[in-house]
Amino acid sequence: MPGRPCPHCGTEVPADNRFCGSCGGKLEPAAAGPLAAKTMFFGANQVPGRAKLTVIKGEGTDGVTYQLNGTDHVAGRTEGAILFPDDPLLSPRHANFTYKNAKLHVIDEGSVNGVFMRIKTPMLLSSGALFLIGEQLLEIEPSPPDLGPQPDAEGTFFYASPKRPSKMKLIQRLRGGEIGMIYRSRAETISIGREGNDVNFLDDPFISGRHAQITMNADGQVTLTDLGSKNGTFVRITDEAPLNHGDYVFLGQQLLRVEIT
Amino acid sequence: MITCKSCGKENQDHYKFCLGCGGKLEAASAPAAATPGATATGPSAMEIARTVLPPAPVATAAGELQAEANRLAPKPKGGIPWGDSPKMPPVMSPFQLPPNPLATGNRGPRVPTSPTGTPALEAVLAPSAPAAGPPMTTCPTCGKPVQVGFAFCGSCGTRIGKAPSGAAAALGVQKTMYGSGAAPTPSPAVAAPRGRLVLIRPDGTEGGTHPLHDGETLIGRGQGALFEADAYLSPRHAEFTATAGGLTVRDLRSLNGVFLKITGDEALESGDIFRLGQELLRFEVISPPQPLEDGTEIMGTPNPGFWGRLSVIVGRDVDGSAFPLFGDAIVLGRERGDILFPEDGYVSGTHARISLLEGQVILSDLGSSNGTFLRLRHERTIPNGSFILMGQQLFRVEFR
Repeated sequence: MPGRPCPHCGTEVPADNRFCGSCGGKLEPAAAGPLAAKTMFFGANQVPGRAKLTVIKGEGTDGVTYQLNGTDHVAGRTEGAILFPDDPLLSPRHANFTYKNAKLHVIDEGSVNGVFMRIKTPMLLSSGALFLIGEQLLEIEPSPPDLGPQPDAEGTFFYASPKRPSKMKLIQRLRGGEIGMIYRSRAETISIGREGNDVNFLDDPFISGRHAQITMNADGQVTLTDLGSKNGTFVRITDEAPLNHGDYVFLGQQLLRVEIT
Repeated sequence: MITCKSCGKENQDHYKFCLGCGGKLEAASAPAAATPGATATGPSAMEIARTVLPPAPVATAAGELQAEANRLAPKPKGGIPWGDSPKMPPVMSPFQLPPNPLATGNRGPRVPTSPTGTPALEAVLAPSAPAAGPPMTTCPTCGKPVQVGFAFCGSCGTRIGKAPSGAAAALGVQKTMYGSGAAPTPSPAVAAPRGRLVLIRPDGTEGGTHPLHDGETLIGRGQGALFEADAYLSPRHAEFTATAGGLTVRDLRSLNGVFLKITGDEALESGDIFRLGQELLRFEVISPPQPLEDGTEIMGTPNPGFWGRLSVIVGRDVDGSAFPLFGDAIVLGRERGDILFPEDGYVSGTHARISLLEGQVILSDLGSSNGTFLRLRHERTIPNGSFILMGQQLFRVEFR
């Protein structure tokens, strides 16, 4: 039978007990999930990989530090222990920093905007993966195979602009979800930066001259590489990712540095 | 047209602000104030046409008969009302058309005596002209005169002998008209086409015509010799409606649409599609961000002032490049401008402009060689001499 810890003495008691068999303390009715989570803090000192998150403010100055001494540490706009009430890009409950097998992970709690991690090595991009370069939210879409002209049910062919084969499209997503620009690449690589690249964002002060490069291999797999940029290149994680010391995580507008002692 | 009371500039009926001075426009005289979203019904379309073509015929049934009688009566060339519109470039007057190379072979004895080549439309529309020589009939497909006894139309190749009986009856009337020689009695039963579509070949020459009779004319693949070979034309593509008051065209939800060559400034709605050279482009408005229900805003690049987007359509539901629109105006061209199509030889060096004026987005052609064509969303009254792109082919519209 699944048990739950007594909030008074910590003894594991059957979940449907109304009183603790050990200390006699009154138990709240079952289905108190948060209670269980809260209780787990008793074991916090035993978590081996203690870690903390430091909020990075502009110009490299550090802000608040959050100690990750429990098991679950929810971040969001209105829910959880790590709160940023003024960040409209955060979902009410956005992400959870949790230990799994003594290893710190970040889990996207179904947020609208997701969790982004700075890449340290060339990263294989899954289809539709979003990434951040400076202030630019970008996406790569491999071009579908050209099936040639296909008539509709009435035998009419669709007129389109002249075919100019391309490998992939780089899509800029504007705040609010609209598409801004789409760059169609005929080459297998796209370089991105502030100037002298295939795609340049002249007005983005957070982008380095040569910032990142996208490469498509013969199988159509797309790799994103940071070219030693100052502010880094961030990729949206799918569902969850393990965290190591020195990782950087973007939640909404909040840049967090992971420090594990 | 709405004439601006402040500066006198003529503006299209659905404009809310003057393109010349930005002043607020009052709606045009009641019936002519067509909004872009409104489908032009019969009477209002006629009203609009009346404002464009000043000496318009009366719209009642009796009036149409009178107009028909006036039309058939001999009159000097310069007196034709539809040739007088100041909006009409002179080259578009049917009376200054170059000879139609395809029409000369079967026009009967008039051709050899007319070295300049009398335009075919005149031959059709001026039945009072003396007609000596073999009796003529009219091709049911393109409206060109065909010598009686010929099995095929020399202009468009339609088999004449296979005409259905109803059409044959009509041909009988035509034959009488042409054969009588003397000035005929004007009769409402006479069904000379009110206008025609002239196919413009890629090299600029004319390549045959298709008649536009009174009432509706269905255009589509299978609806006439001009359209047979165009696989980009839907079987039911467009409908032209010709009345004494004007000509309207309506896209019958065809796959590829009906495009009108723009002759002035056109207000664009989000989703409008236009052709520039070979490029098929779609304009869309970029809306300001809206928070979701739980108060979260969708993350993305801060909008640096983009108010619209121009996407290159490269397939059905497939877009290629997309260009943001910002500032007061964006110029499109092959060599100069903000958005370039360097590989499209049909795009002029500087071709067209999309501008934002008083909250309206305006598409204008900048004197390009091949023009800018706007896909029609709604039924639209089109002036004589308009150029229409349907399927892969370009047509000039002529009517009276």
